[in-house]
Amino acid sequence: MIKFLLMVNKQGQTRLAKYFAEFLSTDERRALEGEVVRKCLSRTDKQCSFYEHRQYKIVYRRYASLFFMVGVDDDENELATLEFIHCFVEVLDKHFGQVCELDIMNEPEMVHYILDEMLLCGQIVDTNKTNILEPVQLLEQVQT
Amino acid sequence: MALQAKFEKVVQGIKTSGPKFLKELREFDNLVKAIGECKSKAEEDRIITQELELLKQRLSDPKLDKSRGKEYMIRLIYCEMLGHDASFAYIKALQFASDPNIHTKKAAYLALTQFLDCDNQLVLLLVNTLLSDMKSDNYLIVCTALVTATKLIGADLVNAVYPVVVERLRHPKEHVRKKAVMALHWFGGLDPRREGPLAGVELDKHFRTMLCDKDPAVMSAALCALHECIKGDPRPYKNLIPSFTSILKQVSEHRLPKTYDYHRFPAPFIQIKLLKILAMLGSGDRASSENMAAVLHQTLRRANTSHTIGSAIIFECVRTITTIYPNPQLLATAAESIAAFLRSPSHNLRYVGIDALAGIVAINPSAAAEHQVAVLDCLEDPDDTLKLKTLELLYKMTKANNIQVIVEKMMSYLATCSDEHIRRDIVRKVSDLAERYAPSPSWFVATISEVFRLGGEHVDEGVGHGLCRLIAEQDASLHASAVEAYLGLLDGAVGAAAAAGGGVVPSGKKLPETILLVICWVLGEYGHLAARPPGAVLGRLMGLLAAHKTTTDRVRGALLTALAKLAAHTGGAAGPVGAALAAPHGSGGGASGGVCEASPADFVHACLSSQNLELQQRAHELTALLKLPPPLLAAALPVNAAAEDLTSDLGTVVALPFLDGLVNSALAAGAQPYLSPEARGSKGADAQAKGLRFEAYEPAPYAVPIAAASTSAAFGAGGSASTSAAADPRQSSYSGPSPSAASTSSAAAAAAAAGPSEPQLTLKGAGGRKWGPAQYESGPDAAGAGGGGGGYGVSSSGPSTTSAPAPAAPRSGHHSRNASGSGPALTGQAAERERLAASLFGGGGGGGGAFSAASRPAAAPAAAAARASGGAPSRPGAAPAAAAPAPNVMDMLLDLDVPPATQPAAHSARSHAPAGAPAAPGGDWMDSLLGGGGPAAGPGGNHTAAGMGMGGPGMGAGGIYGGMGPPQQQQYQQYQQQQQQQQPAYGGGMGGPGMGMGAGGMGQPGPGYGAPTYGQPQPYGAPAGGMGMGMGGPGMGMGAGMGGRGAPPPHQQMPQKAAGADPFGDLLG
Repeated sequence: MIKFLLMVNKQGQTRLAKYFAEFLSTDERRALEGEVVRKCLSRTDKQCSFYEHRQYKIVYRRYASLFFMVGVDDDENELATLEFIHCFVEVLDKHFGQVCELDIMNEPEMVHYILDEMLLCGQIVDTNKTNILEPVQLLEQVQT
Repeated sequence: MALQAKFEKVVQGIKTSGPKFLKELREFDNLVKAIGECKSKAEEDRIITQELELLKQRLSDPKLDKSRGKEYMIRLIYCEMLGHDASFAYIKALQFASDPNIHTKKAAYLALTQFLDCDNQLVLLLVNTLLSDMKSDNYLIVCTALVTATKLIGADLVNAVYPVVVERLRHPKEHVRKKAVMALHWFGGLDPRREGPLAGVELDKHFRTMLCDKDPAVMSAALCALHECIKGDPRPYKNLIPSFTSILKQVSEHRLPKTYDYHRFPAPFIQIKLLKILAMLGSGDRASSENMAAVLHQTLRRANTSHTIGSAIIFECVRTITTIYPNPQLLATAAESIAAFLRSPSHNLRYVGIDALAGIVAINPSAAAEHQVAVLDCLEDPDDTLKLKTLELLYKMTKANNIQVIVEKMMSYLATCSDEHIRRDIVRKVSDLAERYAPSPSWFVATISEVFRLGGEHVDEGVGHGLCRLIAEQDASLHASAVEAYLGLLDGAVGAAAAAGGGVVPSGKKLPETILLVICWVLGEYGHLAARPPGAVLGRLMGLLAAHKTTTDRVRGALLTALAKLAAHTGGAAGPVGAALAAPHGSGGGASGGVCEASPADFVHACLSSQNLELQQRAHELTALLKLPPPLLAAALPVNAAAEDLTSDLGTVVALPFLDGLVNSALAAGAQPYLSPEARGSKGADAQAKGLRFEAYEPAPYAVPIAAASTSAAFGAGGSASTSAAADPRQSSYSGPSPSAASTSSAAAAAAAAGPSEPQLTLKGAGGRKWGPAQYESGPDAAGAGGGGGGYGVSSSGPSTTSAPAPAAPRSGHHSRNASGSGPALTGQAAERERLAASLFGGGGGGGGAFSAASRPAAAPAAAAARASGGAPSRPGAAPAAAAPAPNVMDMLLDLDVPPATQPAAHSARSHAPAGAPAAPGGDWMDSLLGGGGPAAGPGGNHTAAGMGMGGPGMGAGGIYGGMGPPQQQQYQQYQQQQQQQQPAYGGGMGGPGMGMGAGGMGQPGPGYGAPTYGQPQPYGAPAGGMGMGMGGPGMGMGAGMGGRGAPPPHQQMPQKAAGADPFGDLLG
């Protein structure tokens, strides 16, 4: 089960945080994110993309200046989670067209909506790009 | 079009509110820009604080511009995401959720799911909005409401929304159905046992229906939901196995639309989910597992490692294969896949490879040997994650023969690791392993003490009790070494404290409470055995108090009892300790301002008036005890009585004649006569049978309180003895079975029968021994030169990397290559790795047997020998590894009949020169074991040729079959030496130990065979008879071992040689 997803830039600034089936208070989130990010940023390319933190296994992947970190429980397949991150990035790419940090900062709600299509209750429910983007694009067409 | 609308809106805004509108319009952009550009966390916090002020102002404005609700919501999300509290705006978000504008509505719902959880009271206010949105015509709104429901609906609100959600399962749009399924899944998780709000609701019926939905995305959601249900209880879902297997088959055959592909792999995430489900359904169920074997095979075959996602599928397949009922064919395929992972240069693949290997090892313990190079690489990898995972694998493959190396690895990791979570995990693993597989008591004591030192704050208190009990059951030499070890530990702690703050503010590393209790107990019980004078021991104990200023009352209490015992054991009140304790108040040496409690007398005085009643009582008892005459004191606090059988104590005090008068008068006065608890129980049952009684009561345990009470009564010393009993850790550990020799050995038999999976202390005792694995118990009179010679020859063959048991077991290519080099071909590091590999994987039996005793680091046996003889605990590996030449296996195999070569090995054993011994022993012992009668020439000076001949082959059997893990030899060696010290008269019974070793080495630890034979004195009188007996026991063991693996030719010599003298000789054939 996926517990949370973080997008953090290489300076360690959080760009997006989403928790699934796990509710932490603001302070707990802050502490957890701080520790997770610190550990992640201290890792090198030569190390594997997983590490354990508290009761979570963290799977992370780096795209240019942005780190995607996913906290999963013990059952989850680490390699699959790693590929899920990539799949998510592909969807973002398809939606934003060459997604970058600024896109995510300017339209965080779209990223959340996309994630809501892919992940529910911490489970991967859909990875079909057409399915995922259909409601999101429909929403964009609705008059503001 | 959207742009045009935006433009029109801006124009409209400027017309109505002028420049103010323009300024507000840019607020969001400014915020994003500011956050994006800020350089530090402090700056970011400042920006957000300002933003929160601004938002408060805007949102409380009655003329709030509703059309900008979405923007406000996103700004709030930013604030919360960056760690600031925006709770003032929650109610506004609730209001915006019912906004007709879909953008505002969606953003408000999103904000609420980010801010609230399902226990929040505010959710109650949302339910109505949510319900109406679920019925909306716009499917986007329905989806949003359902997504919100999967996060915010708690157990008490489930019933309100459940019917509407179920209705949405028939919605024409697949997006809605998908989310409705997940909402139901969320509800199911709120009440997993269907006892609360969902009692009687058949959620799985819906899931089963949705599994057949025509849209794969809905089916995938149903899989997620069923996965969770099956996790709870797989039994009701076994009938779905055909559906799952057929779905998996179709998916892997590419039957789903192309849009589900991910990098040309057909719907990999669905495949993985299905594999997880199948694993749970097939676990421990042979029939189900067989039904899924074909599709698993197909899935595994169709996935390939061309892309990571393919590896992910393979990894999941392997996990499934290792979870379901074992299928040899699938396991073989899985093993191949794992090999590919482990060979990969990618750290990620190696990580999952190690993980998968751990699964295979659980089924087939010898599987790891094949990958030992890869495993060692991972263990030494600088990547912590990989190392940790490898340690986990090692934990799962730990056996009696490799525990020392594995625990050493874990400890060295523990020493460098700072993550509390991981430390706790490692401490738990090490203590678990040590209790299960400890090769010897002294090792256990040393290891557990080290664990306490490195990670004491995470150790269970039960481990401390186990440690005390174990120490109590050992002999005086171990007591002494434990005392020295703990004094050393205290030296370190006190020294650190003194260095840190001159003894005033000890900031050095403090010992945790549990180990302090153990130390107090050990020093109290056995402090008189210390090499230094009792006064110094006393000083150390008091130093403990000074070094740990914040000592708890528990520790102080234990300390008081320890002082009392120490005084009693060292001459009572007149002894040095007693005198120090009884010194008048304030006159103790060094009692000055800062260290007020440094004097023992002052400490006792302070405790006499302590606010803690227990401390006070203990202190009073201590002073009272010290005033007793010496014989009475000795009876109250006997020396080395911790391991005494408490039940026999009970037996002696059952008769209390001096109380007869009291009892009789009470009976005469009409009191009820005493009934034993059993009688009481049956009487009570009778009485109850007439009334309302529907089931049996549990009989209450009573042993401990009676023991304490009766002791105090017997000594007539008030509560003194009872207190000492209560202070003893043994009290708690003894409430179970009494540790008499008989019960221990029966416990050992039970433990052996139960197998190694039970995490308990392995008290495999036979004969007079109470501790230690059975391997070296079968030859209690192992003081000999013949068998002993063989044994020593084996263990001292340290640095050679030969794969000795070549004739019996297959070797991996890597090692045969090294082993066939005839000289000391291996350089330092490589040799070190070889040794590590051998000690980790060697002796595992089967394939693992290829790496046997011969590759053991020389350092360890040497250190062990030193420890056994000197009594001072030193860690294995401390002694320098002597670089002895690696003998050529081929030579050994060919020159089997060169008896002179056996001489040095046998000789070295006899003389017990541990460090210098390994001259060229690797080859020697091979000769001795293959050459049959060869060793006769060596140590056989005083014995018949037949006797010696037996000794040799006996060892051989052990070496070959047991894969004779190094630790065993070490123990054996130690054991031998102990035996020699204690029973020098047994020197003649050589054959026996030789055979005993053989049996033990084979990993057939049945305590049945060695021990009974040795109880009889006959063997020692007549050499021929002695051989017969010696052979008899182990001979049976060998027969069994050989049956399993096929008998190699060399051993057929044995029966011939033995036939004359050995009545059991035919068993060996």
